[in-house]
Amino acid sequence: MTWLAIASSAIVTYLVRAFAFKMALPSALPRGAIRYLDALPAAIIAALVGPAVLVPAGTVTKGSELIAAIVVIGVVARSRNLLAGVLAGVAVVALLRLILAA
Amino acid sequence: MLVTVTVVALTFGVVARQSGLAPVEIVAMSLFVFAGASQFVMVQLLKDGVAWPLIAATVLLINLRHLLMAAALRPYFGGVSTVRRLGAAFFLTDEAFAMSIGWFRRGRTELAYYVTFAVALYLLWNTATVIGIVLGPTIGEPRRLGVDFAITATFMAIVVLGVRRRSDVAVALVAALMASALAYLGASVIAVVAAGALAPLLVLLFPDLRDKAEIE
Repeated sequence: MTWLAIASSAIVTYLVRAFAFKMALPSALPRGAIRYLDALPAAIIAALVGPAVLVPAGTVTKGSELIAAIVVIGVVARSRNLLAGVLAGVAVVALLRLILAA
Repeated sequence: MLVTVTVVALTFGVVARQSGLAPVEIVAMSLFVFAGASQFVMVQLLKDGVAWPLIAATVLLINLRHLLMAAALRPYFGGVSTVRRLGAAFFLTDEAFAMSIGWFRRGRTELAYYVTFAVALYLLWNTATVIGIVLGPTIGEPRRLGVDFAITATFMAIVVLGVRRRSDVAVALVAALMASALAYLGASVIAVVAAGALAPLLVLLFPDLRDKAEIE
């Protein structure tokens, strides 16, 4: 199961990379198609992260994760630094869980 | 850029190990998939027990953007044999593209620029992944230390760093809210991924706003 996921993901990823290296795309791809492809990765990841923050396990979050998510967005938007955002998010979650559990 | 790649690969190794994947599976991901955001998504979806065809489809959607990058690099590989092109394609990443397209557009034609940088990134990514795998189990009690939140935080950071125009913000918000509403209503991961694939169509609905809304 895990190996099938890894193998199939490796194959599709390589096919995409190889395709345009070997085949000529229509020289002027419609601007709409370019904008769509450009916006696609962030949209897929946003769609995966939204439920993880807002409705983990099917219930609306009230706690630590939502606050930490806001902190991550704020830190990354200001610093443009991935690591700073992740460290801040992890620290805030750990701290809030500690406080709320006490 | 090299520091960021190292840190992200380290984080990937740690997070993947703590999600319960075997070290050999994690190493295989970095060796054969070699795509940052996709590998984090795979860890998340595998942890959630999502079926492999859907995982592959999600990875495909995330990596479709490489079509544009490869198409932009292709003119500089005019005289290169098919075998070498197919080899070069394997190492294509956002970072390798960004570095080499800059050189090529300034008039350099040596493919060594692309090859050296792309392969160096590959070695760095895989080395840092292994270090992350080794470090993973030494970080105790992931939930108490908030380490389980690292994947979510990484995803959010990737989305925020990807914002260049106002329309990007709109697309990300619509994707996240639509997916959350679907998940709340009990829809499967297929619906969530579909929400992500549909949201960028927004940029097509408002073609006039597209250029005016450039932030820079």
